[in-house]
Formats: sequence, structure tokens, C-alpha cells
Amino acid sequence: MRHLLWMAVFAGLTGVVFGAVAKGTDRDRLGYGLTVFGEFMLIGLVLGWILYFLPWK
Amino acid sequence: MASKEYSSARTAETPAGAWLIGVAAWAVPGLGHLLQRRWVRGALLGGAVWVMCVVGISLGGHLFGVSSKDQGLSGVLQILPMIANVGSGLLYVFCWLTNTGFVENAQLVTSEYGDKFLLVAGLLNYLAMLDAFDIAAGRKK
Repeated sequence: MRHLLWMAVFAGLTGVVFGAVAKGTDRDRLGYGLTVFGEFMLIGLVLGWILYFLPWK
Repeated sequence: MASKEYSSARTAETPAGAWLIGVAAWAVPGLGHLLQRRWVRGALLGGAVWVMCVVGISLGGHLFGVSSKDQGLSGVLQILPMIANVGSGLLYVFCWLTNTGFVENAQLVTSEYGDKFLLVAGLLNYLAMLDAFDIAAGRKK
């Protein structure tokens, strides 16, 4: 659970910065920041499950 | 030749203040935007970078630096992450002077997370620095 929390914090802060430096209206920036946050979370979870099933020991 | 002239013309158009804003934005995360009265953007960018640095240190992350102890390829491999860490500006300098965060805490479960937080904090501040420079140079609103 702690790992997911820190991943969410990381994705949130990165999304804030990417959204703040993006071009367009405030609405566009908010949308872009949320998109970046969502992409980080989704890709992190997908990669996590892929790595979970790989037999690396 | 033509591209050289174009390039020098573009450089000449950049006001000197923009370079100072760029340096300020690198040195103190968020300051470049605050000096240009971009209060919300400065607070968001600066706040995010500062929080990432503090979280990174508190998670046991470590800052990279090249020292005389590193030999051969080991020293070379430290350069790229060090460049990322230096992006945090005076935060990195402060940590270097006080020897904070330069010790590896591999025994902590979250130390790898801390490393990534610190690396990305510096890289994001480079992004914020370029944004502040572009605004000061009139290339962005």
C-alpha cells in the first residue's frame, strides 16, 4: 500500500508541473495535468503486474 | 551562413533579464515565475519541486555527486544522475554543504523511491527554469 501511495504522490507532483508548464487555457492545463497523472498511475500499475508474473529469482 | 545569422539574431533578441530570471529559477525552484508575478504558476512549480526534494530525502533517497573516491566507470556513471540532482539548484548546494542526503540508505525499503523523487525534482526544475526563461524572453505567455 505504501508503494502505491508514493507512486500516487510522484504522479501527482509530476502532473502538477507538466500541467503548469503546458500551453493553452487553464482548463487545457488542468486536463493535461490530470492526463499525465492518470498515465503515470496506469502505466505504473500495468508494469507492476507484468513484473509480478515474471519468474525472476 | 544564413542559419548562423538567424541564430545570432534570435540570441540578440533575448533580453538580459531573461538570463537572470533563468538563473533565479534554477537556484530557487519557483522564484523565476514569482519574480515575473506569475504567483499561481510559481507556487505550483516551486511547491512541487520543493515537496519532491523533501519527500525524497525523508524517504532515504540519496543525491549523486562525483568524488575522488569513484574510480573508472563508476565515476562516469555518477555524472548523469548528478546533473539531474543539480537541477534542484541551491537545494543541492545546501545538501552538499551540510552533507545531507549523500549517504546511501539501501537498507530502507523506500530508498529507491527517494532516489527517483530527488532525480525527478531536479529534472522538473530544469523544465520550470526553461518555462520561466521563455516567459521572460517573451516567447510564451
